[in-house]
Amino acid sequence: MSIKNKLNRLKSHIVHQEKEPAQIEKKIQPSAAEMPYKQQWKEAGVKPYYLDDAFCLVREVYFPLDYQHGHYKFSDLIHAVSAWNRKEISHPLSSKGHKPNDLFFFDTETTGLGGGAGNTIFLLGHASLTESGVVLKQHILPNPGGEVALYKSFLESIDYTTMVTYNGKAFDWPQVKTRHTLIREHLPKLPPFGHFDLYHAARRMWKHRLERTKLSIVEKEVLGIERKDDIPGFLAPMIYFDFVESKNPEGMLGIMKHNEVDILSLISLYTHLSFQLLGLDQKQSERETFETGRWFAALGEREAAKEKFTKVSGGNSFDAYKGMHALAFEYKKQKEWLQAIPLWETVIAKGDLKEQLEASIELAKIYEHRQIDFNKAIFYTEKAENIFNGNLQLKRGNINLENIAKRKARLTKRINREEKIRHID
Amino acid sequence: MKMRKNLSEMINEIKISDKFKENIVHWHTIEEKEARVKDMPDTLHPALKDALLQRGISQLYTHQKSSFEAASSGESIVAVTPTASGKTLCYNLPILQSIVNDPDSRALYLFPTKALAQDQKAEINEIIEESGLEINSYTYDGDTPANIRQKVRRAGHVVMTNPDMLHSAILPHHTKWVSLFENLKYVVIDELHIYRGVFGSHVANVIRRLRRICRFYGSDPVFICTSATIANPLELAQSLTEKKMKLIDNNGAPSGRKHFVFYNPPIVNKPLNIRRSATLEVRSLAVELLKNKVQTIVFAKSRVRVEILLTYLQELVKHMLGPKAIRGYRGGYLPTERRAIEKGLRSGEIYGVVSTNALELGVDIGQLQVCIMTGYPGSISSSWQQAGRAGRRHSESLVIMVASSNPLDQFIIGHPDYFFNRNPETARINPDNLIILIDHIKCASYELPFSEGERFGTFETEEVLEYLVEERVLHQNGNKFYWMNDAFPAHNVSLRSASQENVVIIDQSDVAHVKVIGEMDRFSAMTLLHDEAIYLHQGVQYQVEYLDWEEKKAFVREVAVDYYTDANLAVELKVLEQDRAKQAVLGEVGFGDVSVTAMATIFKKIKFDTHENIGSGPISLPEEELHTSAAWLSIDEIGLQFEQERLEQGLIGTAHALKHIVPLFVMCDPSDVHVVPQVRAVHNEQPTIFFYDKYPGGIGLSEKVFEGIDTIMKEARRMVERCLCESGCPSCIGTDPSSSTAKRDVLKIFARYDKGDYIVY
Repeated sequence: MSIKNKLNRLKSHIVHQEKEPAQIEKKIQPSAAEMPYKQQWKEAGVKPYYLDDAFCLVREVYFPLDYQHGHYKFSDLIHAVSAWNRKEISHPLSSKGHKPNDLFFFDTETTGLGGGAGNTIFLLGHASLTESGVVLKQHILPNPGGEVALYKSFLESIDYTTMVTYNGKAFDWPQVKTRHTLIREHLPKLPPFGHFDLYHAARRMWKHRLERTKLSIVEKEVLGIERKDDIPGFLAPMIYFDFVESKNPEGMLGIMKHNEVDILSLISLYTHLSFQLLGLDQKQSERETFETGRWFAALGEREAAKEKFTKVSGGNSFDAYKGMHALAFEYKKQKEWLQAIPLWETVIAKGDLKEQLEASIELAKIYEHRQIDFNKAIFYTEKAENIFNGNLQLKRGNINLENIAKRKARLTKRINREEKIRHID
Repeated sequence: MKMRKNLSEMINEIKISDKFKENIVHWHTIEEKEARVKDMPDTLHPALKDALLQRGISQLYTHQKSSFEAASSGESIVAVTPTASGKTLCYNLPILQSIVNDPDSRALYLFPTKALAQDQKAEINEIIEESGLEINSYTYDGDTPANIRQKVRRAGHVVMTNPDMLHSAILPHHTKWVSLFENLKYVVIDELHIYRGVFGSHVANVIRRLRRICRFYGSDPVFICTSATIANPLELAQSLTEKKMKLIDNNGAPSGRKHFVFYNPPIVNKPLNIRRSATLEVRSLAVELLKNKVQTIVFAKSRVRVEILLTYLQELVKHMLGPKAIRGYRGGYLPTERRAIEKGLRSGEIYGVVSTNALELGVDIGQLQVCIMTGYPGSISSSWQQAGRAGRRHSESLVIMVASSNPLDQFIIGHPDYFFNRNPETARINPDNLIILIDHIKCASYELPFSEGERFGTFETEEVLEYLVEERVLHQNGNKFYWMNDAFPAHNVSLRSASQENVVIIDQSDVAHVKVIGEMDRFSAMTLLHDEAIYLHQGVQYQVEYLDWEEKKAFVREVAVDYYTDANLAVELKVLEQDRAKQAVLGEVGFGDVSVTAMATIFKKIKFDTHENIGSGPISLPEEELHTSAAWLSIDEIGLQFEQERLEQGLIGTAHALKHIVPLFVMCDPSDVHVVPQVRAVHNEQPTIFFYDKYPGGIGLSEKVFEGIDTIMKEARRMVERCLCESGCPSCIGTDPSSSTAKRDVLKIFARYDKGDYIVY
């Protein structure tokens, strides 16, 4: 019995995670010269790129600087970059020292999820600014044999030191490295690269109001970008497999459009995030200001953090008390106890329970160790105890009943000792 | 006042006491063996020599020296190393030396389990530390924290892992392991003998993938394998790695005096030739030893037996040693539970262990003095592996094999010469089993595209690649075949089990704290976890309240009952294609592909102690289908001239006898080949006995049956003839045949087979 017959018989035992087979056609292996659907490709602005006997496809599109993508024009990027250049602040998203047209906005489409060796990148897209507008370039893999041409064409047209991506640090770039490793003898070495990853920025800024921080959601909810007839990303592998079989560009053109919008959105997103961080967004919400302050605080940019928190703490919303609470911590870090005290007193009066609890403990600490006022310290310790007793689920870090009780006991002892000394006096 | 007796007093007592001596049919003493040693190799780095000296090693055993010399000169080797013979130096020394010579060089160690890798890491790290050399060795498994994985990939000189991890985490991500694959000098395969049957066939394909990737990165590592005693270590190593190997079997390690006792329980029913239960006999032997605090390991063949024995023993010595002093050890336990037991054994807090063959592996549990086997373990090499658990550290030890009534056990216990003189079993693999192979060709395609005409190991890939193109898993472009699918194929392929999904066992005794207590493969679950089954775990009884077959979950609750359950499996067979055939006088012998459908039908409740049947119930589970290879023996009724009833009974009896002889001659585990009689086979309407491989696609066992059918029939006939019973007993034709003529009829069937030649066509 032939092996193929046997395989067909044993089919039910073979693990089928793969899609069901469609009808079988004889495969065609076209060279670029006899590329089918030439006319459609041409109309879409796609040209072949040759390397020896292999080729890939390249599409180039221009957008004017005043093109409006959501709330922003591409020219706003120029403002963002020059604002970073004026600012004395270090931040992972800062483009200080760069010109606007140094930035490369980059995104890929792949045949699967996860980072294994068999996950192929079939589309590499990037965009950058020129004097007159935005140039967007896409490198497309027409069949799996063309990877050397694909990467050659891609690596020639990009500066690796200043890429802007959405989760590219964890996904796109490692995958480029993986595919590069497989054909590395045909390609120049992949240099180390600098990177602005907007995914983590978006998570920091909008986790509080977005259930998920996928690019498509951030676009819609934050950047005011509406997609029309978009092909969802998860369909991309299926469409690509179909394209490789049929060569019909129709589905691929849809994916290219999807990738194009992704990349253009990165430009608007970088602009928007920069304006957020630099305080240039007039419509910034209090919560957003607060989140930028937290980010600066985490980076150790004390002054920038204080500025943001001060800005928020003016009002009397919950976000304002959040700002005060955070600002008080900044003062504490800089040992400006007297500045922190009134802020925390307000937080205890008006903040949410969690903040009230933390503020009480902090005030207890200040009065015990800095102001040496044990009576006040015990007052705030008891306050914390009361808040805690009413809401045991509040437990956070080392704030627990045991520690509160310890502090109370210690303070009581110190008060008694003072009383005794006073008595003797 | 009674004194505690030591081991040699216990040995004497067993020899002379009335209670036991009657049942001892053979007492074999293996004298102690002196060490044979050689000087340290001159080429060994002084730091390594010093490190060994600090551990009291100034010379090498002969096999260690031979291994060092061969492996250092670039020869792949397989070293046969019995328990406690210092096998780790066979690979650690040449490899550490190679890293000293070239700090870029890398080695990959494969252990069958995670636990073994952990053990060995501790061992090699001690040498490295004492030598003061800058060598990094790491384990890489599911427990390796994400933050150190990168370091392992980049800087690990020695990476210790298991085949499953290599298959699903390392090979599919080979681009992240460039520095390992570019510089891979050595691959160690420890416990080679474990890689047999289905598991071995999978691993052979994983090694094909490994070597394919090594070639891509320009390396061609030397393989160092170590194996327990089997008949064909060289052949197994060569078919597993497809590399030429050198056999190193000049074991120079010393061993202590060992008493090997064959123990046959007394006959309790003469006419039926029924013996006292082996389980009960083991119980009284073990209690005697444990009462004297002699560290004892008891092996039982099934999970159920382990749990039954454990319940017995814990009950009997509870007051003397405390309930924690005797523990169970088997595959279904969770890893943390197993680690705790291993630790207790080493530290001596645990006196007794009841185990399935999970402990056959070289996990270091320290010194045990006595090993008791409940029944013949099924193969000679398993027996020696289990026997090696007693007296690992060169001291006197005692091994007692207690036979059960089954024919194979009775055959072995009646033929001690056969046991002690015969070659141990041959380990077989079939890397070209299509079901296994195709999974790995998919994985390999994911890792690197195949080129037209490229072989996968020794396998011609053309047809399989074409098939995968038709299935739209691969895409051909030019002369290459590219992976064209969004799946990650390695995640869907398990190396260990035919059925992918295990059934999870959930204890809901405490409604507030429902917890998972174990898992079980699908085929076993049909007969062990059906509704109302009594499932035993660490000696605690649970009743299955509901088996959710769709979701693969069994919900159990703790109970206390005085019975266990035993289920029947109804099997149907269809011949799909006949590949080979020959004609004997008795009828036709065939070989080919079959489809087997199995369905669990009813279960019986069996009382502890008396083992009587006290009730039964139906099982309603869907049937499972299996396509595999099979040999069969059809019977020409006209020649035999039996009436229907006698034919049926004779067939059942013949199958029973064959079932127990087959593993002996095919050299496999009894559960790997199933023997099923059919009164009217679907394909030729004749009474037929089938022998089929339990794994889909077959792993070559039934083909072996087809080839060796003459010997098998002859031996089975001799076994039945020599049995002392009158009309059939569990030790020959079983108790299922109910007619009084059954034994005679079985012998007639055998006799007719033996008559004359057959024609091959």
